[in-house]
Amino acid sequence: MPQPSLYQEEHYPSPLQYTWMEFKKNHIAVAGLFCFAFFLIITIFCPLLAPFDPNMQQIGDLLIPPSWYPNGGISHLFGTDALGRDLLSRIIYGCRTTFGISLWLVIVAMFLGVGLGALAGMSKGFRSSFINHTLDSIQAIPTLLIAIIIIAILGTGLVNSMWAIALALIPQFVHQTRDFIRHELSKEYIMAAKLDGASKTHIFVHSILPNMGEMLVVQGTLALSVSILDISALGFLKLGAQAPSSELGAMLLEGIEVAYIAPWTIAIPGGALFIMIISINLVGDGLRSALRNRLLH
Amino acid sequence: MTNVLLRYTNLVLATLFVLSLLSFILAYLFPGQPIENLTGLRLDELAEHQNSELKYAVDANIFVQYWHYMGELFAGNWGVSFSSGLPLIEDVSHYLPASIELSAYALFLSFFIGLPLGFLAALRHHKLTDYSLLSISLLGYSIPVFWLALILILFFSLQLGWFPLSGRISLLFEIPRATGFILIDILLSDSIDKTAAFTSALRHLILPTLSIAVVTTTLIIRITRRSVIKTLNSEFILAAYARGLTPRQVLMRHGVRNALIPILPLLAMQFPTLLTNAMIVESIFSWPGIGNWLIQAIYQQDYPAIRAGMLAVSTLVVIFTMSIDLTIRLTDPRRRRAERATT
Amino acid sequence: MNILEKHNIKHWVQTALILLASICLCACDGLLLSKTDPNGIVYCSEGSPANFNPQLDTSGTTVDASSHQIYDRLIDFDPITGDFVPALATSWLISNDGKTYTFQLRRKVSFHDTQTFTPTRFFNADDVLFSIDRWRLMTHPFHHISGGRYPYTDSLKLGDLITKVTRLNGYRVEITLNKPESSFLANLATDFAVILSAEYADKLISRNQKELIDHKPVGTGPYQLASFRQDRYIRYTKHPKYWRNIELTDKLIFDITPSSSLRLAKLITAECDAIALPAHSELEVIKQQDELVLDEKPGLNIGFWAFNTSKAPFNNPEVRRALGMAIDKNALIEAIYFNSAIVAKNIVPPTSWAFQSDVRPLSYNPIAAKKLLREQGIPENFSMTVWAMPVQRAYNPNATKMAELIQAYLQKVGIQVNIISYEWSTFRERLSQGIHDSVLIGWSADNGDPDNFYRPLLSCAAIESGTNRAMWCSQEYDLLINKALQYTDISERTYFYGQANELLAEQLPLIPIAHASRYQAHRKELQGLVINPYGGVRFGGVKKIQ
Repeated sequence: MPQPSLYQEEHYPSPLQYTWMEFKKNHIAVAGLFCFAFFLIITIFCPLLAPFDPNMQQIGDLLIPPSWYPNGGISHLFGTDALGRDLLSRIIYGCRTTFGISLWLVIVAMFLGVGLGALAGMSKGFRSSFINHTLDSIQAIPTLLIAIIIIAILGTGLVNSMWAIALALIPQFVHQTRDFIRHELSKEYIMAAKLDGASKTHIFVHSILPNMGEMLVVQGTLALSVSILDISALGFLKLGAQAPSSELGAMLLEGIEVAYIAPWTIAIPGGALFIMIISINLVGDGLRSALRNRLLH
Repeated sequence: MTNVLLRYTNLVLATLFVLSLLSFILAYLFPGQPIENLTGLRLDELAEHQNSELKYAVDANIFVQYWHYMGELFAGNWGVSFSSGLPLIEDVSHYLPASIELSAYALFLSFFIGLPLGFLAALRHHKLTDYSLLSISLLGYSIPVFWLALILILFFSLQLGWFPLSGRISLLFEIPRATGFILIDILLSDSIDKTAAFTSALRHLILPTLSIAVVTTTLIIRITRRSVIKTLNSEFILAAYARGLTPRQVLMRHGVRNALIPILPLLAMQFPTLLTNAMIVESIFSWPGIGNWLIQAIYQQDYPAIRAGMLAVSTLVVIFTMSIDLTIRLTDPRRRRAERATT
Repeated sequence: MNILEKHNIKHWVQTALILLASICLCACDGLLLSKTDPNGIVYCSEGSPANFNPQLDTSGTTVDASSHQIYDRLIDFDPITGDFVPALATSWLISNDGKTYTFQLRRKVSFHDTQTFTPTRFFNADDVLFSIDRWRLMTHPFHHISGGRYPYTDSLKLGDLITKVTRLNGYRVEITLNKPESSFLANLATDFAVILSAEYADKLISRNQKELIDHKPVGTGPYQLASFRQDRYIRYTKHPKYWRNIELTDKLIFDITPSSSLRLAKLITAECDAIALPAHSELEVIKQQDELVLDEKPGLNIGFWAFNTSKAPFNNPEVRRALGMAIDKNALIEAIYFNSAIVAKNIVPPTSWAFQSDVRPLSYNPIAAKKLLREQGIPENFSMTVWAMPVQRAYNPNATKMAELIQAYLQKVGIQVNIISYEWSTFRERLSQGIHDSVLIGWSADNGDPDNFYRPLLSCAAIESGTNRAMWCSQEYDLLINKALQYTDISERTYFYGQANELLAEQLPLIPIAHASRYQAHRKELQGLVINPYGGVRFGGVKKIQ
């Protein structure tokens, strides 16, 4: 129930609202957000959306072109692959595998990364210095390279590649969190809290953590696009998800076999991956500039 | 100055120590016998060798083993590959230059295209040019590199027939190996038709270089653009105008230099990303590089090869990033009191 | 930032960009126009050979890379008629009892002059003795080099068959057998009966580098090995003193390209002049391209699904039958071979005289299969492995895909399938250890004699030599196929092979799936390349017209 406003008071939006207002101004970013939501819906409701079982092979219907081809059929919107599996269903399930798993990995990596980052940022001395040095070395190495190293140890497979990517994503979060905490610790409100006699834990939980949300969301979108690229690249290199799985990178690899006669088997999974990453990057970019604009005002 | 140098040498040595330790531990983490994973020789072959020193090393405790391992590493004896039986140091020194070459050309290409475009976008800030460049760069860094490579192949190789799609050079040319960098090797050799070989090598280079360069170029455009905008908004630029310099003079004397210095390390830091992308692209273009080789080794569970490959690649990346960091530290006064120095 | 705009900065940047673009375009133009490669033939092969001696390896990859390029045999098959024609032996004589073979050898045949070896003499009887004794005699100094297993000759027990090989004089050799065997001459003409250099072997002994004999080979063939890099390429150069008067190019290169689609792509972009094993799905594409030629011949081969009969429950013929009934071979052939193969009934193809069309068929019936499985005590959700070979072969162009289809079929009868695949040499090594449940693999004949199917694939001796993938050993079967060899008359032999066919249809150690046609694709410029129905590819006499 809206409160009657008695005074001619100016409305001050909260920082979050302000960010959203800035974000809304950027139409392309909003389109990206819709796209992102679309993929999220696919990921959650994919069994309801897919017309066929993604692994059902119809040997009578091999390599049917998508429906917009002159000889395409209506029953398979995106056509079928070399084993007669419906490509639309595989793409839908592939989005779930690639997008869903990446999202999950980012969340896991974020929790662990923030924890470690807090430890590094709040502490001083040897422990901090050690973590910093290790981090600086690791940070320069691309996640995919780290993931490949980890897979070399664990062996190939989807689960192993998940471990690998989650582990490879953590350092970024640690680094960002640590820098953020460093930065915040030098601010006056922290000093005030310290003078009030707050403990380190208290400062972190009550003063720093609430301010970290936005940084984490921005970092999270970055990590998400990296994670999607990595998981599909590993699938594509046959190091991650293996053949019958409908992971988008693995599908792309299967498509190469028939790329010349059935270009849609690489065009469609690759396109889906591309749109997925664009939408995430759009959202990430939009958020970042919205935050920047808010801070400028 | 000496202080910084010392600090970096220390850091590099420490990191390399950690890496070598890691590669040693890998032999224990991999399935199978550690000694097999370290040498690449099977147990029965080892028994045949009757290498007394080796036997001593196997029986000794882990520190002695590590000491021996390091000794062998420095002596250039990295073990042999399970699958091909060739000495690993030979394999690595054969494949690594190919990857470095590819990444280096891609990096140069990205600089060549990315820097001017970044400046252009910044100079036309909030104009159509800026927006279109930004959108293109967004597309560029969202595109999965392996998909891009496939599309380039489908279009340029198979449809148009312009470029070959595999290898570094037509196999009919036999280039004697001197440096491992194919273009240099061609120039050094004298037994073959140089022009034909050079053309062949360039034609093979174009598509892989392009596929890797796209992502990096777009990143460079964005980084440059942001830095130039920031620089042009600084007070010293205003001051330069106030002194009556023409815009061209301002840009050339103050803008370019000050915009470039802070981003050079960021740009150089693209090298590891580039190398990773190169590893993926190599396997598509059958480029005889370290990535392709390493991935094959993983398929074949060739643990000695994985161990040596990892060590070589990570050493390269670490030394590269650290030396860039050091160069910047030594040349840029603003970073002297950067964070790392104070901790 | 507006301050900059009225001035020439942007023009300056734009000019630079235009300049850059035009430089690029000019350079590209030059690159596109000139395609002058040196003289030579590039063949895109499917894998790395294990070594360069076909005596040691029956894998088609090794045979292709060595047999007809580096070596010659005493006698050859005529690729068109299938008759024996002279090669290193100019003539031969068989005694009336069928036990003694005398070969007259060709004079003035030179061996390769390589980096490691310079021959001082021509080919003579010593080389023949060395080549045969190497696999025949356990005591031979080279017998145990490179593993000491000679899968082809071991599986046929040729070593036991030959009692002695004698040098009558420098150019005359006599081989004595302990019993007549009708397929003996055919075996000497196969890809595996190559002639090595005895002089080179002596050199290696004196240098204590015996293992080089199979890796730095010396033969009399049209091409000599220049260099080999695993998974990359094999380079050959012309043998300048080759004894046959045929066309040879300066360089022959095997560009090792495991992916079949990549091979086709390279053929289209003219990076290869010929490719091994074009994928069956892409045959239409090749036919449509004007500059490509596709050759086709009915193949002497069999693609099958073998069960490891040394392991329970696959030692039970009824379980094997049930599994066989659970898969639809016609559908497999449509999906994997794109109808370029015929459904296999026996292990020999219909072109062979030992083929039998009236043998007990195995029809697709998942319901009966499921029932039979339960009767034999196989529980619901029983899990088994199907090993799928990682390389393409004419007899099975895509084993992984076939394994996925079989996986789907077996799911319907309540069996979970794990598909296993390793890199090719590891795959075969582990297969020989017998740790698989079942495997999708096959066999291509090396000569026209049906014995070439029956013995290497399923005889007891072939378990040891590693070609019997079913690990199946039956005394009754061995007796039948050995009897068949003692006769030369085809109708008598057909009788015994008929009995063997019946036995196989009843026991089903393996499920025959398909006999595929053989294809070879090359560019129009390449002339003289023909499909060799009895084994490996030959590049002697092939030339490229500019």
